[in-house]
Amino acid sequence: MNTEPTTRIHKNAIKAWTVNALLYGLVWFVPAGFFLLISIGQNSHLPDPWYMGVDWVIFAALFIAGLFFYLLIALLFPKLRWQRWKYDISEKEIDMLRGIIIKKRTLVPINRVQHVDTRQGPVYRKFGLSSVTISTAATTHEVPALDDETASEVRDTISTLVRKVKEDV
Amino acid sequence: MSEFKRQHPVAAVSRVIDLIKQNFITLLILLFIGTSNSDGYFLYFIGGGLAIALIGGVFGWWVFRYRVYEDELQILKGVFIKNKVYMSKDRIQVIDITEGILQRMFGLVQVEVKTAGGGTESATISAISREEAEALRRELRKKNGGEIDGDEDTELTEVDEQEEILDSWKLSKKDLVAAAFTSGNFGLIASILGAISGQLDDFINEETIEYLYEILPGYSNVSLIVAVVIAIIIISWTLSFLGVIFNYSDFKLEKTSKELIITTGLIERKHITVPFNRIQAVRFVEGVIRQPFGYGMIYVESAGFNQTQKGRSIVIAPYISAKVFQDFLKTFAGIDHQPEETITPPKKVRFRYIRRPTYFLLIAVPVLWYFMEYGWLSVSLIPMMAYLGWMRYTDAVASFDQRLLKMRYRVLSRTTAFVRRNRVQDIELTQNPFQTRKDIFNLSAMAASGAGGMSFEIADIASNDCAKVYDWVTPKDEEKFTTTDEKAHEDIEALSKEESISAQDATGQDHLSDSESKVK
Repeated sequence: MNTEPTTRIHKNAIKAWTVNALLYGLVWFVPAGFFLLISIGQNSHLPDPWYMGVDWVIFAALFIAGLFFYLLIALLFPKLRWQRWKYDISEKEIDMLRGIIIKKRTLVPINRVQHVDTRQGPVYRKFGLSSVTISTAATTHEVPALDDETASEVRDTISTLVRKVKEDV
Repeated sequence: MSEFKRQHPVAAVSRVIDLIKQNFITLLILLFIGTSNSDGYFLYFIGGGLAIALIGGVFGWWVFRYRVYEDELQILKGVFIKNKVYMSKDRIQVIDITEGILQRMFGLVQVEVKTAGGGTESATISAISREEAEALRRELRKKNGGEIDGDEDTELTEVDEQEEILDSWKLSKKDLVAAAFTSGNFGLIASILGAISGQLDDFINEETIEYLYEILPGYSNVSLIVAVVIAIIIISWTLSFLGVIFNYSDFKLEKTSKELIITTGLIERKHITVPFNRIQAVRFVEGVIRQPFGYGMIYVESAGFNQTQKGRSIVIAPYISAKVFQDFLKTFAGIDHQPEETITPPKKVRFRYIRRPTYFLLIAVPVLWYFMEYGWLSVSLIPMMAYLGWMRYTDAVASFDQRLLKMRYRVLSRTTAFVRRNRVQDIELTQNPFQTRKDIFNLSAMAASGAGGMSFEIADIASNDCAKVYDWVTPKDEEKFTTTDEKAHEDIEALSKEESISAQDATGQDHLSDSESKVK
């Protein structure tokens, strides 16, 4: 374990995650923005239309704060996450290192692997990426955002290794 | 047995009983609240629910049919969605015959048939007569491989039927009572406290306060709360006392060459079969109350069988002395030694251990102090939690050797877990920024349990110690083990010498792995 894993995931991961975060972020932030707008308006108890009563200063402050987090999550985190994500697949084991704040290192012995899949969502497809999921009897691990070829290569490698080890034992 | 058969009509009611059993505490609370409200609104609600379940049960009973046809168990069921379950005989691994409360009343049994393999599933026939169950069992057990040698009838059936019992262990009456007394279940207390605190406003009204004022001398807010807490502790303690008596009366553990068989229960006799090859981990759990007496409980984790169940922990000894548990494990779980190489958290982290359980008090104590009359008394929790932290520190130890990983840690109870190396599903190290500074990790090992997993975790282990476990989990070439008799041992030593030379010159990896075995 003294040597950390070295293989990086595909650089496009940053873009894909950014797009993903921006899209998902909209789902959270747009309704939240409206809600904020309406709630500030309603609490002002003015006879005018609700948007006249909105305290624009508060709204602007909260909006900017929200936007800041939104962009932070969408623009900064994917890069950090990519930097931290490293993995290695050897004949005996799959070694993964990840985590922005809390570092996580996982080792899965090859002969514990039950099946391997590749998966691809719409955003990943756009960037030509796939993730590989590795299931054991107890848990499922994911190596995200490999380019399609690497992903299927990794999948095949693992399943070949698994077969080999199982025959050995 | 080639005709489709229905179950005993009692099966129609068994679903209702199951429903009541599963939601017993909820129902109790609902009834309690329901009757305190003036209109019996809740009672109608409960009654309606049960009536629907009963009607469903009747239809369910009507459509449920089973038979043994050729070499399959066939079950037809499902009211709206027809469901055919065909189980081939040779894939059936376990046939459990259980007597529930209801079944007992009518002299019936419940049969659970479980298969092994990739897709694990189980079929339950919930009420048939004992003779029928035995006949079914014999039928299903019969042809196992019998077709090949032709004489399927007598011998094979006999052997399968009366699997020889190699060892057995019983829970004595005295130990049962001791187990019940010491079973104080803090989780239960907490959940009841939680459930009631939501209703606290209802309980604490003028009337109850008046009433308490009369029965309690020197009444105050505090004595009210203390009284409520004590009452809850007594109630939950009684519940867990009864729980132990019901669940573990006449507890019997038997070992055959292939499996562990557990028979237990007072009103409901359970019969659980655990094949050895499904056992993933063994845990010895010493509860807070039991540990001072030197007793604990042993669980095994078993994989597969029930896909919906996340974890499957089975009690193989409800109350056993710490002195004999190693012998017990040797006999019943095949764990015949204690690993030598030992890892403990380094000395520099002991204050982290002591501090950690007190963190939540940083918020709780000021809040209590401010809002409650004698809230400052909660300060006394700080040394208690710190002591818990200290105990966690002294208890934490991981040890391992070529075959076995042993991890001991404490949350409230102290758990000692044993996992064979080839059953460790993964090893995970996590490190937060504070730990990075000290170069320590939380170390966790995962074993399979049910359809999910169970992880055993020790906090704050030095990174070089973590590295040992991390590297340990995948066997190195030269120590891969199969069977070890003396001769093989010598051969391998000779081989590995040769090989280590040839391995050096080029792509030795491959042919090294062909002839490995355990060196030690």
